[in-house]
Amino acid sequence: MTELQYVRASRISEALTLLNEVGVKNRILAGNTDLALLLRADPALCERVVDVSLIPELHRITRADNRVIIGAAATFTEVLSNPIIIETAPVLVQACAQVGAVQIRNMGTLGGNVANAAACADSLPALVCLDAEARVHSLQEEQVWPVADVVVRPNHTLIPPGSLLVSLSYPVPPPGCRSVFLKLGRRNAMAISRLTVAVLGWLNSSGRIAEVRIVPGAATPQIRRIQSAEELMLDQLPGTELYAAAARRVADEMIQLTGRRWSTEFKEPALLAMTQRALMQVFEIAPLSSEEGR
Amino acid sequence: MKIEFTLNGSLAIVEAPARISLLTLLREYLDLTGTKEGCGIGECGACTVLLDDRPVNSCLILAPQVGGRRVTTIEGVRGPDGGPNDLQRAFIDYGAVQCGFCIPGMVLSGEALLAANPRPNRKEIRTAIAGNLCRCTGYQQIVDAIQATALRRREKP
Amino acid sequence: MTEKQFVGRPATRVDALEKVLGTARYVDDYHLPGTLVARALRSTLPHARIISIDVTPALKIPGVRAAITSEAFVNHGRFGYPVQDMFMLAHERVRYAGDALAAIAADTEEALRSGLQAIHLELEELPGVFDPQAALSPQAPLVGERPWDSPDLPRGNLLNRYVVRKGEPEGILAGCEVRLDEEYSTMHQEHAYLETEGALAVPWPGKNGVTVYANCQSPFLARGNLVQTLGLLQENVRVIQPVVGGAFGGKDDLMYQTTGQVAKLALLTGLPVKMTFSREESIIASYKRDAMQMHIQLGSSPDGTLRAGQIHAVVDSGAYAAITPFTAWRSSIHAMGPYRYEACHVDVDVAYTNNGYSGAFRGFGNTEVCAGIEQAVDELAYRLGKDPLEFRLHNCLRPGDTTPHGQVLGEDVALAECLEQVRKISDWERKRSAIQSAQLQAVIPGEIRRGLGVAAVFHGMSLGAEGADFAVSTLAINPDDSLTLTSGLTDYGTGSRTVFTLIAAETLGIRPDRINMLRPDTDTAFDSGPTVASRSTVMGGNATRIAAMRLDSLLMQAAADLFDCQMVQIIRHGENFVSPDEETVPFEQVVQHARSMGLTLSAQGRWDAPENYWSFEKGQGKPYFAYHFGAQVAEVQVDTGTGKVEVTGFWAAHDTGTVIFPQGALGQLYGGITQGLGYALMERVDYDQGYIQATNFDEYLIPTSLDVPEIVGVFVEKPFTPGPFGAKNIGEPGMIPTAPAILNAIFHATGRRIRNLPANLERVLLGHDLRKEGSNMACKLGLQSTGD
Repeated sequence: MTELQYVRASRISEALTLLNEVGVKNRILAGNTDLALLLRADPALCERVVDVSLIPELHRITRADNRVIIGAAATFTEVLSNPIIIETAPVLVQACAQVGAVQIRNMGTLGGNVANAAACADSLPALVCLDAEARVHSLQEEQVWPVADVVVRPNHTLIPPGSLLVSLSYPVPPPGCRSVFLKLGRRNAMAISRLTVAVLGWLNSSGRIAEVRIVPGAATPQIRRIQSAEELMLDQLPGTELYAAAARRVADEMIQLTGRRWSTEFKEPALLAMTQRALMQVFEIAPLSSEEGR
Repeated sequence: MKIEFTLNGSLAIVEAPARISLLTLLREYLDLTGTKEGCGIGECGACTVLLDDRPVNSCLILAPQVGGRRVTTIEGVRGPDGGPNDLQRAFIDYGAVQCGFCIPGMVLSGEALLAANPRPNRKEIRTAIAGNLCRCTGYQQIVDAIQATALRRREKP
Repeated sequence: MTEKQFVGRPATRVDALEKVLGTARYVDDYHLPGTLVARALRSTLPHARIISIDVTPALKIPGVRAAITSEAFVNHGRFGYPVQDMFMLAHERVRYAGDALAAIAADTEEALRSGLQAIHLELEELPGVFDPQAALSPQAPLVGERPWDSPDLPRGNLLNRYVVRKGEPEGILAGCEVRLDEEYSTMHQEHAYLETEGALAVPWPGKNGVTVYANCQSPFLARGNLVQTLGLLQENVRVIQPVVGGAFGGKDDLMYQTTGQVAKLALLTGLPVKMTFSREESIIASYKRDAMQMHIQLGSSPDGTLRAGQIHAVVDSGAYAAITPFTAWRSSIHAMGPYRYEACHVDVDVAYTNNGYSGAFRGFGNTEVCAGIEQAVDELAYRLGKDPLEFRLHNCLRPGDTTPHGQVLGEDVALAECLEQVRKISDWERKRSAIQSAQLQAVIPGEIRRGLGVAAVFHGMSLGAEGADFAVSTLAINPDDSLTLTSGLTDYGTGSRTVFTLIAAETLGIRPDRINMLRPDTDTAFDSGPTVASRSTVMGGNATRIAAMRLDSLLMQAAADLFDCQMVQIIRHGENFVSPDEETVPFEQVVQHARSMGLTLSAQGRWDAPENYWSFEKGQGKPYFAYHFGAQVAEVQVDTGTGKVEVTGFWAAHDTGTVIFPQGALGQLYGGITQGLGYALMERVDYDQGYIQATNFDEYLIPTSLDVPEIVGVFVEKPFTPGPFGAKNIGEPGMIPTAPAILNAIFHATGRRIRNLPANLERVLLGHDLRKEGSNMACKLGLQSTGD
């Protein structure tokens, strides 16, 4: 087996140079929580790892021009404990807080979670719910894609080889916005998501729904907002029947996208229940469950 | 390649392949066997060490990643006399130790929690050790030990 | 009885310090220079004939030092107890995916992998059978080579049948107004000890002998197998158990194979050889708790008195018998639960299949049947409109009662007390009436529903009629006045070392920290049978007490000589000896005087379990000399929208006799309950065409700290006279009723009976399981060399 090479980049430009060096098969190393498993299964996966995790710019979380910008190498712990994120995006805090356990959250990165694009990746529904964008740098150019478009299907993204995901950003929602991320796993920590749902929304001055965004996770091949369900709710008064109808649309959309699979018999009622519950938590004060999502 | 880092407060310089995990570096190259391998895929936490004071799974860290950084293993957790510190004593006193295999990871997760949060409630303690699997104890006495230490440290800082 | 100084008081676990410091040495922490790494080549087919296996190509790989097959062992390495159907390395046939075929020792991991790949192997796949019911049909392909106890009778894949017979239940059942006829099932369970299997063999220079450090549970069994299969003299084999990272019954059979393999490789190479398992190899190759299917029929009178029962169970023993004949036998004894019946029949059939093999795991057959009978009894209670806890109190065994298998119980039966205790501490009545009965109101989807469930357990103590049941301890005073204690029983986290130390200290009236207990070592300890069956406290504890009493009498002799008085006139005050004229002499001085008298200050103690007997034909007897009793209550919250079950409260009351080491006993109880919680809700071993599906902890889920509630445990310390200071045990019983308590709570919450473990999301939400199509990929990947 050939010796694996390790090189650490201290700047984005340096990383890009290394990643585009001819004749070397590179992989980006950020948190290593996914890459380590890939290397364990296939030691010949790459010849060199380019460690971008300590590039200062990739850890910064800032707020500018009413957008929040998160460096792609920010760890789950850094994201969930950051005051800007706590204030503007509870859905993302809750998603990050339910990834794995403390050890994984201390190494795993938001960018890595997006770029690895696992079907059950927890950050994706939250980011899509926030209408987040991904900024990707290559040697030639900088590109920006909606996160919803970046993930083409499980484990496949639009990010071209030789380029680097540099940041995730989202527009700051208005005051009065509430958001929630619910996760269903087979146990309460270190659990692969069986189903997740991210919901965000706010009311207008007449108490009607001005905006609602619903994104199920671990349910569909692509992570997207379910617009047919959202449209049903706009300008309506919040209420149990409305949540049920919207949740029904979400479940139908899931089945439309995936077809009836072996897991549909479970996911359909569970997604219905979780979506209703998330809508209730966003638009009302008292949550349905006795304990909110951990 | 040469890997230079701070290990339990002292400088460590090791020549090792880039491919190996931090866990292997510690156990095989530095003969520090207190850190354990339980699964190899970052699910059990038996390999927990502190990297820049944060608990991480050393089986998921490539050895060169620690270059220039601070690593603390269980061997670095000691009282002023070189014996057990107050948290380790609490583990003993509260019956938190059975087979002991998860204990190094538990102690480090406990230390990291108390450094960040001096007044954890039981739920917060359980969350802090949720990435450390234990098959023997049912966790309760481990939570007791960490909680008791938090109280003691607040009373006598 | 005098106030005790150490027994029953908070104590320091004797081996905890090195564990919290991280200096405790488990087998993989032993780094000897020149140690070779070793690994077995394992079958990726569940059933195949070995046409040819040639390890010589492996020997040509640079760095490979030795390679062996079954031919390296005496009689092809055949071993096994009670059935000798296993081999150190597979001979003629492989019977499960993971069966070891060959083993190699090499200088480096790389050479090892190349060596394993170079082995020339030709297997002819044979049809396999993977369902135990199907395995018992006459057309099923044969798994074993020939029936083990009746070579002339065709038995197919039926390993054995165990029965309990009391009267004629069929007639009574037919006449019962309230009846139950249901099927229940449990899955295999993985032990999931945090430390995987490992062994290090060190050959003796210039001699045909070997020392093996292994995390096996029973060093004497390992030594016996090494002697038998390597053809060595017993005095030339030494097995030492280092610190072990958990076992729960799972480090026997596979570990004997592993120790045999490394020992042979060490003898061939003349170098130390170490084999440690990756988690995948451990899960794939190691034996599991058996899976069981139960058909239970119960009948009661309208006033809620159980009258008769009939149980037929089928056990999946998998590819080899291992200890499953004994677990199945224990299952038969305990299948009817701790209740009185006019008549009952139990039949437990044990089948070979080509799934991974089954063996010992905490509870040893009782965990499985308890999950069935405690649900069945619960269901019957509800059909009668009775409170399930009250129903159990009405029918439970009490002192002087006769068990379903015909044994008259003594005074040490505290099940009713346990049920009363657990009713009180769980606030059962108030909570149950506060929770709306699930039967009266249909469940609104999406609601969180609460429920409270109860389960009871009885568990025969120690080996019972499995075989010779004794233990031996030794105690000696060293020249520096410290004491050395040995036992043939081992402590892999259970706390027995501390229990024995406290017993010795209490008996001798000296501080526990004077006593050092040696590591389990076949050279220094005496064979005391296997460390299983929650037998350590009573068997090893009594042996220790006897050794300590003998030593104590020597010291008393010396003190009497020193004081020139009678032994009965001497009083002990702390560690001191006080004469009739109130002269106080410290322990060290008495010891010194004893030496000057020429007394040898060491003693051996042996304790044999009282006689028991069992008639396999009649299905009646006195199989255990005593029983442990207990009751547990679980409180759950069920999310009826998603099927997620949270165990939000748990109460347990166990009749443990005197508790010797309180923190240790509580720890064993909490740990057992946690394993039971996993068994109930999230642990599953699926075999698909013989291929295990979950191969690591990402898919085989055990409870985390966030899955376990705060547990309230109480001990009903009804003194048990045969036990040391009145102690019984706790190791296994803590786990046994947990799963049915949780399942019964789920029924209370939802009105849905889940008769198949685990009660996972799908079963709770939909009423049935859902699985995607199985594959052999994970299993095959896991059997390739992994790790860095």
